[in-house]
Amino acid sequence: MTEPIARPLRSERLPLQISALSVILGGEAAAVPIIDDISLTVGVGEIVGLVGESGSGKSVTCLAALGLLGPDWSLRGDIRIGSAHLDQRSDPRSLTKVRGRDAAMIFQDASASLNPIQKIGKQLTDTVARLQGISRVKARTIALDLLHRVEMPEPEERFHSYPFQLSGGQNQRVMIALALAGQPLLLLADEPTTALDVTVQSQILDLISKLRDDTGMGVVFVTHDLGVVSEVCDRVAVMYSGRIVEAGTVAQIMSAPCHPYTKGLIDSMPTLGGHIPNGIKGQVPSPDKRPVGCAFAPRCFKASTQCSQERPGETTDNHGHSVSCFHSLTEAEGISDVENGGASVAEFPVTEGEPLLSLKSAACDYKTRNGVFRAVAKVSLDLREGESLAVIGESGSGKSTIGKLILGIEPTSEGKAFFGGQQVPLLGTQAHKIFARSVQLVPQNPYLSLDPRAPIGKQIEEPLVIHRIGTARERQAKRNELLEAVGLARAHADRYPHEISGGQCQRAVIARAISLGPKLLICDEATASLDVSVQARIIELLRNLQRQFKLSMVFITHDLRLVRSLCNRVAVMRSGELVELNETELLFAAPRHPYTRELLASIPDVVSESSGHRLSSQ
Amino acid sequence: MTRIVIRKVLRAALTLFLVVTFVFFVLRITGDPVSAMMPDDTDPAIMEQLREQWGLNRPLSVQYVEYWRNIAKGDFGNAYRDGRPALEIVMERVPATLKLALTGFTFILLTGFPLGILAAVNRGSGIDRAIMTLSVTGFSLPNFFLGILLILLLSVNLRLLPAYGSEHWYNLIMPVITLGTAGGAVIARYVRSSMLEVLNAPYIRAARARGMTEREIIWSVALPNAAIPAITVIGFMVGALISGSIVTETVFAWPGIGRLLIDAVSSRELAVVQTIVMMTAASMVLANLTVDILYLIIDPRQRFGSGSGE
Repeated sequence: MTEPIARPLRSERLPLQISALSVILGGEAAAVPIIDDISLTVGVGEIVGLVGESGSGKSVTCLAALGLLGPDWSLRGDIRIGSAHLDQRSDPRSLTKVRGRDAAMIFQDASASLNPIQKIGKQLTDTVARLQGISRVKARTIALDLLHRVEMPEPEERFHSYPFQLSGGQNQRVMIALALAGQPLLLLADEPTTALDVTVQSQILDLISKLRDDTGMGVVFVTHDLGVVSEVCDRVAVMYSGRIVEAGTVAQIMSAPCHPYTKGLIDSMPTLGGHIPNGIKGQVPSPDKRPVGCAFAPRCFKASTQCSQERPGETTDNHGHSVSCFHSLTEAEGISDVENGGASVAEFPVTEGEPLLSLKSAACDYKTRNGVFRAVAKVSLDLREGESLAVIGESGSGKSTIGKLILGIEPTSEGKAFFGGQQVPLLGTQAHKIFARSVQLVPQNPYLSLDPRAPIGKQIEEPLVIHRIGTARERQAKRNELLEAVGLARAHADRYPHEISGGQCQRAVIARAISLGPKLLICDEATASLDVSVQARIIELLRNLQRQFKLSMVFITHDLRLVRSLCNRVAVMRSGELVELNETELLFAAPRHPYTRELLASIPDVVSESSGHRLSSQ
Repeated sequence: MTRIVIRKVLRAALTLFLVVTFVFFVLRITGDPVSAMMPDDTDPAIMEQLREQWGLNRPLSVQYVEYWRNIAKGDFGNAYRDGRPALEIVMERVPATLKLALTGFTFILLTGFPLGILAAVNRGSGIDRAIMTLSVTGFSLPNFFLGILLILLLSVNLRLLPAYGSEHWYNLIMPVITLGTAGGAVIARYVRSSMLEVLNAPYIRAARARGMTEREIIWSVALPNAAIPAITVIGFMVGALISGSIVTETVFAWPGIGRLLIDAVSSRELAVVQTIVMMTAASMVLANLTVDILYLIIDPRQRFGSGSGE
C-alpha cells in the first residue's frame, strides 16, 4: 500500500538548506528584518524542531522557505529545497513548482486550512492529479490510499465528508494527506498539534514520525512546546527575536542548554513531576525595537555590558552544538530547575467544616437541533475554603460547563449547585449580583475579555463602580493596590489592552477578578493562550494570590502538567462524566481510571524524555 | 434537506399572502376608484350607482373575502374602464418586461462579477481604484437620470440609437444599461469584498502552499466560496430590477408592466394594480426562494446544519 507514495530516498540532496537568510518586511525606507541572518539544515529523514516564544520568527521562516510571504516582504541569503533554489529573484511560476512537490506545509488550524465547501476526497483527488500529473481516476485511488496512510478512521466514508463534518484531529490528518500528495522531500509543520487535544496530539505526532520513517522526508517542526520537541525531534533550533540563538540535538539542548534563553524556556515548562514553572521576565522585543547587541540581553540573568553593545557570534563545539552567547552556561548552570529537585506540590491549609462549594448530582443539558445534548452528567463534588481543584478534560468533556454551573451562567438541569450553603443564583437575578462578589471568573483570552476601548485601570475599577463600593479616591487607591498585587506598574492603568502584552492583559483580568475580594476564582484555561514563558509567570502569580488572599480556586484546563503545582485535588472529566476525582498526588502516582492513565501517557513531558536523553548523551 | 425546502416554501407562501392583503387594504383606504375615474362635477347619484355596481360600497371585509375567493378561481377581477379581465391586460405586457428584466439581470451578473473579481485580485492598484470609482458612480446615479443622459448622448447628439421603441435588439441597449448599472455596481462591490475576505482565509494560503497557481486559486477555490455571500445580494437585486423597470420603462416608453402599473395606479384600476403587485411579489418571493435553495446546493454547511462538531 505504501508503493505509490514512497519515492526513493535521494540522500545526496538535503531536504532543506537555509544559508544566511534574512527576511525583511517593508520597503527601503521602513525595512524591518523579521528574520535576521539564520542558517538551518534539515537532513534526509530528520525532524528539526524550531522553538521559541511567539514573535520569534518561527512561522515566518517556514513561510519564507516556500515563498509564501506577501509582496511587502523581501529575502536575502538563499534557500535550497532538494535541488530547487529559492531567492529574492525566484519568479512565482518556479515557486508553484516547488510547493507541494519539493516541500509541503501543514498548519495549526487544519479545519480552517481546508476548502470548506469541497469534500475532502475531491480536494485530495484534485491535488494528487495536479501534483503527480495523472488522471483523476488514478488519482482517486491514490487519494484514498493516502487517507489510509494517515490512519483516518473509516477512510472510505470520510472520503465523502466535508471538513466541517470532521474533528480537528481528522482534519489535520487530511492536511497531512494533502501534504503527502506530491511526495515532498520536506514537510514544514507549523504548530500542527497546538490546537488539538493531548490524546489526539500524541496520535498525530506518532503519525508524523512514522511517515518520516516511511518516506525519508525531512521535517521542520515548529512548536512552542518543548515537551513535543522531546517527543518527536532529532535536532532543535531555538529562535529568539528573528535569530537562531542555539541549535543542537534534542539531548544537547534539553539536558545541557548553553543559552540562558533556552534554559529559561525549559524552566518555564510545566511538568508532570510538579516542578513549579519559572517564567522569563519581560517580552520578545518587536523587530523594529531590537537592541543593538544580543536581543535577549534585557531579559537575561547573565547579561553584561558587552551583551548590550555587541552581538554575540555563533560558536559550535565539536558535537555540532552551536550557541550565540558571550556567557554560555556551564553544564552545571544548564541543569534545569526541572531536574534540580525544584518539584513542589500544592500544599495549602484546608479548613475543616462545611464545603464552600458543592455540586450535588448537577447536570446540564443544552438544546440542539438534534435534541438535547447532556454537557455535564450528574457531577458531585465539594470544594473547601482555601482549596484548589483542577478540572481536567479534553474539548467537549464538559469542563467549561462545570465552570458555568458554578458561576450561575447556566442553570442546572438536574441536581443543584451550592455556594456557602446557598443555592447558586442564576446570572441576571438580583441575588446573583451579591453572589458575584464572592465568585469570579478568569477566562482564556484576555484580549476578548477586556474592553478594547477602555484603559485597563478603568476596567479594574469597574466592579467596584458596579457594586457602588468606595469613593472615587478610594477606588483609585484600591486599583493601585490591585495593580501592584498582580505585578503591573501604576502606569499601566492608562494603557489600552492592545498597547500591552498578552501576559500583562491577563494580569489586568486577574486584578479585575479579585477587585471585589472574592472567595473563589474560576480560571477557565486562563493560561492556554499565552506563551509558556508567560504562562509560568501567571501560574506563579495565581499561586501567590492563593496564599495572600486565601483564595479557593477551580482551575479548568486541558493541561495536566499545570495542575500538580497548583491544585490539591484533580477532577478528570470525559464526555460530561466525572471519571476520576482524587488528591493530586494520589492521582498522579496511581491513576485509577483508564482514561486518566491515557491522558497522563499522552502528555509530552520535558523531564522524562530529557532525562532519557541525558543518560544516553553521557 | 427536503424538510428545509418545505419550510422555506411555506414561508414564501405566507409572505405572498401578507403582501396581497396589505396592498388590498392600502389601495382601498387611500382613494376611491369612482371619484378618480369620473369628472369632479359628476352627479353623486351616478357615482353611488357605479359603486353599487362594482361592489365598492360593501364592507371591506366582505370585499376581501370575495377577492380571495375569486383569485382561487383564477379570476383577478376586471378593469373598471373597459371591463377586460385584469389578468389579460397584465399578461399582454409581461413578455416585454421579462425581456428587459432578464437582459438586465444578465448584464448585472456579467458586469458585477468580473469587475468585482478584477478589483479584488488587483487590490489597491489603479485598476481597483478605477473599478471602485465606477461602482460608486454607478449606484449613485438615479436610473431615470442615467436613462435621460443616455438618450441625450446616444440618441440626440450622436444619433446612434433610437430613443424609444422595442422591436429591434438594439432597442434594448439603453434600457438595459439604465436598468442594470446600479445592480452591477453593487454586485461588483460585494464580490470584491467577499473575494478579499476569502483570499485572506487560511485555506487559500494552504492551497498556495500546495503549489496551486494564482489563477487556479481564484477560479476553483476563492470564487465558489466568495459567491455564497454574493448570492444573497443577487436575490435582493430581483426586487431592484422590478422597481427599476418601472422607471426605465417610463423613460424609454417601453411597453411593459412597469408603465402599465403607473397608468393603473393613477386611474385607480384596482384589479390591474393588484394583479401586478401580486405578480411582482410572487416573482420576488420566487427569486428569494431560489436563492435559499441555491445556498443549500452551493454551501454544504447549510445543507447539513453546521456545528455537527458538538
